[in-house]
Amino acid sequence: MSQQSPHIIRDFDDAMQALREEVLRMASQTRLNLERAFRALSTRDLDLCKAVIADDNDVDEMERNVDAAGMDILVRFHPVASDLRLVISSMKVVTNLERISDHAVNIAKRAKKMVNRNEVPETKLLEPLSQMATSMLADALTAYADRNAELGGSLFARDKELDRQHKRVVRGLSQLLEEGGPEAEAYLHLIFVARSFERVGDLAVNIGEDAVFLDLARDIRYGHDGESEK
Amino acid sequence: MSDEPAPISPADVAAVAPAPRIVAREVEFRYGDTPALEDISLEIPERRVTAFIGPSGCGKSTLLRCFNRMNDLVPGARVTRGTIHVGGEEIHSPTVDPVELRRRVGMVFQKSNPFAKSIFENVAYGLRLVGKPDRDELAGKVEAALRGAALWEEVKDRLDQSANGLSGGQQQRLCIARAIAVRPEILLMDEPCSALDPIAAAKVEDLILQLKQDFTIVAVTHNMQQATRISDLTAFFYLGKLIESGPTTKLFSNPAQRETEDYISGRFG
Repeated sequence: MSQQSPHIIRDFDDAMQALREEVLRMASQTRLNLERAFRALSTRDLDLCKAVIADDNDVDEMERNVDAAGMDILVRFHPVASDLRLVISSMKVVTNLERISDHAVNIAKRAKKMVNRNEVPETKLLEPLSQMATSMLADALTAYADRNAELGGSLFARDKELDRQHKRVVRGLSQLLEEGGPEAEAYLHLIFVARSFERVGDLAVNIGEDAVFLDLARDIRYGHDGESEK
Repeated sequence: MSDEPAPISPADVAAVAPAPRIVAREVEFRYGDTPALEDISLEIPERRVTAFIGPSGCGKSTLLRCFNRMNDLVPGARVTRGTIHVGGEEIHSPTVDPVELRRRVGMVFQKSNPFAKSIFENVAYGLRLVGKPDRDELAGKVEAALRGAALWEEVKDRLDQSANGLSGGQQQRLCIARAIAVRPEILLMDEPCSALDPIAAAKVEDLILQLKQDFTIVAVTHNMQQATRISDLTAFFYLGKLIESGPTTKLFSNPAQRETEDYISGRFG
């Protein structure tokens, strides 16, 4: 990201800075929720499950704040060029963050149900999925914060690997589920948790695409494999 | 990936711009010894609106006035290098009559300047200069021009009244009617809405968008939002130089030059 000189209107700079900080605050809370959700599952920590579910309200509130701040900037300052791209991409990034936090809640809810049942060693199978999804989210947010198109555009390939791992884990858990037994319900919960991590990867790719648009004004959605980039 | 935006390519321009109506090549201009324009090369496409933007004193109005040789009327002002072709003809050629050039390349100014005559006579004035139309022909052409300027319905019952009784927005549209009455190829507009309230300005902007079906329009504006609303192409000038030009949407969403971005986003200090 090249350093830009300040706007003549200082309120404009202040509003843009506040918008960016609110997105990063929401990003930080969302990452925390996702990490705590898997930790709650791994450690069978009921209080942590409840904390993740409760903190999702804060994330929802932050999404509304960013949308309101973005609207305010559009109405008051009529941003153009990279300013306009920052407002648009910020409003899109928070939509994806809100969905990621919803997946953290889904994981926490599944973990909550599993606390009341016997522990199953297969929970560890999800650790690579959790690590990959969390790492992708972290890099997507770095790409947004640093306007780093290269990093943002690299997430698509990593998501393919996450998809492969997800399929492998779900195949294994499905076999165990078909065999039945007292832990079948736990395996079903784990399949849904795996599905949430796979979706987090998709949403991180979306944020990476927003970072590319922010940095280079290029729309790479649907264009990773072909020539459809605009 | 580079973090430099892709420069505006000829294909980008071709997508919104048909054949050029005005072609400026390496134009330099001076007021006496003071250079005002340096090495300006620019093509203005036919039947499109091209906006000139830039800070005060950047040369945008000077270039506009070069296109119909209005600067000839300023002592010591002259094009010192380069060529300007309008419709394929070099406008400084000895065979070009400046008065006829100004009929072909009409102009609307920042402040509306109706003559102290009736509404009808304001529009008829130019028509009488370029021909000797009979009464019915003249009335038809005046009506057509007033309709073209979206003013007919507001003034048709008071054509013999003084133009000074019109509102500021109506006076500006009357000046546009006067300009288009003589059927120019090109309309130059120097800040045509800067003295108007938002509603009157919106009517003139709407009119500009209609007029581009018949005329090539070049408009100088300090209003960035106006440039984005009315123009197909935008050219940004700074310190007498053309910094960047291209499709308006592209220039305002992803300018190639740092100076352009700083200016349009309000960072010039």
